Amino acid sequence: MSLPAWLHPGFTLTDPAGTATAAELIDAATRLADEVPLWCRAGLPATDARAILQALLATEARQADLFLIRDATTGARIDHRIEGDRVFEVADDVPPGAGLVWLQTSGSTGRPKWVAHQPETLRARIAAGQPGARWLLSYGAGSFAGLQVMLSAAIGGHHLIAATAPTIGDLAGLAVRHAVTHISGTPTFWRAFLMALGDTDLSLTTVTLGGEAADQGLLDALRAKFPTARLRHLYATTELGTVFSVADDRAGFPAAWLHAAPGNLRLTVTDHGTLGVARGDEAYFDTGDRVTVAGDRVLFRGRHDDMVNIGGVKIWPEEVEAHLLQLPFVRDALVGVRPSPITGSILVADLVLRDAESEAACAPLVKAHLERLPRAARPAMIRYRTALPTGQTGKKLRMP
Amino acid sequence: MIDLVIAELQRVLAAKDAAPAAIGADTVLLDGDLPIDSLDLATLVVALEEETGREPFKAGFRMFKTVGELAALFEAAAS
Repeated sequence: MSLPAWLHPGFTLTDPAGTATAAELIDAATRLADEVPLWCRAGLPATDARAILQALLATEARQADLFLIRDATTGARIDHRIEGDRVFEVADDVPPGAGLVWLQTSGSTGRPKWVAHQPETLRARIAAGQPGARWLLSYGAGSFAGLQVMLSAAIGGHHLIAATAPTIGDLAGLAVRHAVTHISGTPTFWRAFLMALGDTDLSLTTVTLGGEAADQGLLDALRAKFPTARLRHLYATTELGTVFSVADDRAGFPAAWLHAAPGNLRLTVTDHGTLGVARGDEAYFDTGDRVTVAGDRVLFRGRHDDMVNIGGVKIWPEEVEAHLLQLPFVRDALVGVRPSPITGSILVADLVLRDAESEAACAPLVKAHLERLPRAARPAMIRYRTALPTGQTGKKLRMP
Repeated sequence: MIDLVIAELQRVLAAKDAAPAAIGADTVLLDGDLPIDSLDLATLVVALEEETGREPFKAGFRMFKTVGELAALFEAAAS
């Protein structure tokens, strides 16, 4: 069985099971590929970087689809399941695979969607990077951003340090113990990481932020902690991927880019105050991200639609509201958004109970009902009220 | 202020069904001693903003590490 050739022979992976060389990973992936039927649709629980890298190699060799399962409740149509170094048949009535990698995206009501990627596309934007780099995996191993970090290290021949379901304290400890040099994470990750690291010394050479807008306070704190690092924040959209990166230590991007953006990129502020993006002669794509020009800078101001980014997770407050209104004793619900210094934004909810219902009796039921949502979608605070604030039109005021 | 931060932090722990912890001004929030993460910390900050009417992070992120440092940020913020 010949495996695809993208795994660099100098790559090493350290995880809770120990350290593996590229040769050891290739051996394991070759054995796995012998078990994976041609053109099957294989599922793998997406918790472990080592298992994912091996399964990527094995399924690509067998032109099989690979489903990286983060939420087991979703209906992935798979016919085989990978567990450790074994492959089990779980169904025989699904259509054949085509060598795609399927990733789960999370929504605010916890019903994830599957999105297919060509393996070549996942690897397309990865640059060779610096020799000797040591990466810490801050993202979930089965997420798009997590795969980008894993593939960067694997293709570049670097050292990847990964843990399974780590806390932020675990990640700070691993970074220090392994003298990590490269970390990519959301602003929410970085705020927590700085707090967990405290005064402990860590010398990073590359600090990358993505998935949410970076504020100036965070960029200043990162620069103070990592004075010599290459610090950049990325702007990306679901539809376009990474659009540009900003490396001047300032929030937002230079207003001059509205007239002359890097490369063949064109940027504009649309009539309704959102950022429009085009490449070359294409028509502008409306990103839905609101921007304002402040002096020589363009700053991000949240969304034109109702979407909220909470720690890098996209949440629609109206869906959370609808979820709360499913409870028979809730008469009305209003879910608002507050800025958070930790997660960018956070939800807060106002609830009105039906007559004769008591807060003491209902609160535990509300809590249990909210636990069915992804954590980022659960309001941080619930206020029980006798009526909701309404605007002049009688429409609920979507404000905290 | 420090007592309020400790009380709200205990409420965050209780809401997670975590055991009450010994918390003081020097307790580090996110280094792994307490079973909390970024979302729990965001919840704590919202509760403190609501209780005090103060918003020390209005202009963006500010570095803090311990319970005492968080209390000092709220103490110094104008109400």
